[in-house]
Amino acid sequence: MFSKGFKIVDKKRFDLYIEEVSPQEDEAIVKIETAALCKADLRYYLGDRDARTLGLKYPMNLIHEAVGVVVKDPTGRFQSGQRVTLCPNIVSEEDRQKYKVCRMEGLGENYCPTASFASSNYNGFSRSYLSFKADNLIPLPEGLPNSVLVFSELISVAISALRRIPILANDVIGIWGDGVVGYILQAVLSVIHKGRVIVVGKHDDKLRKFEGAVTYKYTDEKLRNEQIDIAVECIGGRAAESGIDQIIDVIQPGGRVILTGVTESKVAINTRKILEKGISMYGVTRSNVEDFKKATALFYHRDFCRKIESLVLDELTILDINDYYAVFEKEADNRDLGKYVMHFMF
Amino acid sequence: MNIGIILAGGQGTRMGITSTPKQFIEVYGKPIVIHTIEAFDVHPEIDRIAVVCHNDFHDEMRIWIRKFELSKVQWIVDAGETRQKSVYNGLQAIRDQVSDDDIVVIHDSARPLISSRIISDNIKYVKQYGAVDTVIPASDTIIKSLDGVFMDSVPIRKELFIGQTPQSFYYHVIESAHRQAVDEDIQDATDDCQLIIKQGKTKVSLVQGEKMNFKITTMDDLLMLKAVLKMSKLEWI
Repeated sequence: MFSKGFKIVDKKRFDLYIEEVSPQEDEAIVKIETAALCKADLRYYLGDRDARTLGLKYPMNLIHEAVGVVVKDPTGRFQSGQRVTLCPNIVSEEDRQKYKVCRMEGLGENYCPTASFASSNYNGFSRSYLSFKADNLIPLPEGLPNSVLVFSELISVAISALRRIPILANDVIGIWGDGVVGYILQAVLSVIHKGRVIVVGKHDDKLRKFEGAVTYKYTDEKLRNEQIDIAVECIGGRAAESGIDQIIDVIQPGGRVILTGVTESKVAINTRKILEKGISMYGVTRSNVEDFKKATALFYHRDFCRKIESLVLDELTILDINDYYAVFEKEADNRDLGKYVMHFMF
Repeated sequence: MNIGIILAGGQGTRMGITSTPKQFIEVYGKPIVIHTIEAFDVHPEIDRIAVVCHNDFHDEMRIWIRKFELSKVQWIVDAGETRQKSVYNGLQAIRDQVSDDDIVVIHDSARPLISSRIISDNIKYVKQYGAVDTVIPASDTIIKSLDGVFMDSVPIRKELFIGQTPQSFYYHVIESAHRQAVDEDIQDATDDCQLIIKQGKTKVSLVQGEKMNFKITTMDDLLMLKAVLKMSKLEWI
């Protein structure tokens, strides 16, 4: 069957591709219904990567946050019409056996040398239909709108960050960053963590939306009074440097730092203080199927869903490539806490 | 229940390929008609499909249905000499297994790039209005000429639309229009909505089509289809 999709072919330029979808024996065909953009998608769109990297990536379907329905599953695991989300991180069983890192808890698939990731080194989900490994499809609960379910991937990333280290019930966790990732991480912690959670950010209006968390403006000296055991950096970009510096400054000796923000340029960090305080740092980017399963289980918590729902800035119908361009432009200008959700109707 | 009726009875004489009707020409390993049926087969709101084609192709159609694992095709119906007769045959073939309020979505097999959204909108608006046609606004100026030599008039463009398919109806609406046409010996209707309008009982609502939902009629159309199919088998970036 034919599938329509939009591929990025150059900076700020998409082309319509119509392609035949024919599933391999371990794949099901999924109709993509709803999707959302990630900052990584925006970087490809705006051309904010070095020219060589972009040259090697284009043309490519962007988007790795999506909800779809299974329309055909030769593997027999899914019913036709079943709603699913798609784990973009793909590792074959062969690779899992071949490389030790693929099987290590805490690291796992994402650090597999041969892992592929939709919208990074594999075509993403900006298509009407696609065939996708059935192993990487995660069933979604009934009765919730796609606009909430589409956050599954980001929630799974929060889960994967917290999976990186053992966390005790009374650990004080600090989240640096008042963006979508920080917000979701705090929402996840509000369900799974009994200890104190604080959020450090830059924008008063955004911090006010972090319901149930103790919040600090990054300039607030009272932050130093907190006994932070674990810090999660969710800033990324140029501001990550000062955020990480502050974390190193205020975290308890022996503290652990999880880095989730992506930076394009190198970040200078205070290694002297890391040594002096015995701080450990961990890197996290992507999630795996198990993280997705844990993420989708959180949708059974009504309060959690309500928090996620507040991230939806608007729901936009994508009938054609012009609508698709418009979402990228809107998201590029977006300074609010939340995302635009796309409903694919092409 | 919503039934797709796929019209595959054309002879393809405008293709310059007399031996193979256009809808059976293979494009990237599949006959065009199969690409079209697949769009209906995976659509969640389509329950069953009837394919109308000439008797000579019935066996091939059965083979393709198996080969390409199409699960919703329930009827393979003999095509008539005209489009109107083919639709009538399709409606008669499904008659015993449908009710008056079931919806039929009638589509040309030579429009393989139909989107899921167009099918959904057809069904949605039939529920509201009883009959729908899929159209796109005319973007070129249309010239009226009675003799093909001299211009007679230039109709107002914003009032003109290009008809596509599907055309969709409640079963009882289209079936009664066809029966009336038979009674009145009308045999040359090139689309079903003409019969509805002539009957005057049901207004035909318009559904927004898409330029990509074009019909493969000529060799140029086939070339255009192939041009837009960028068959990138290279999934790895």
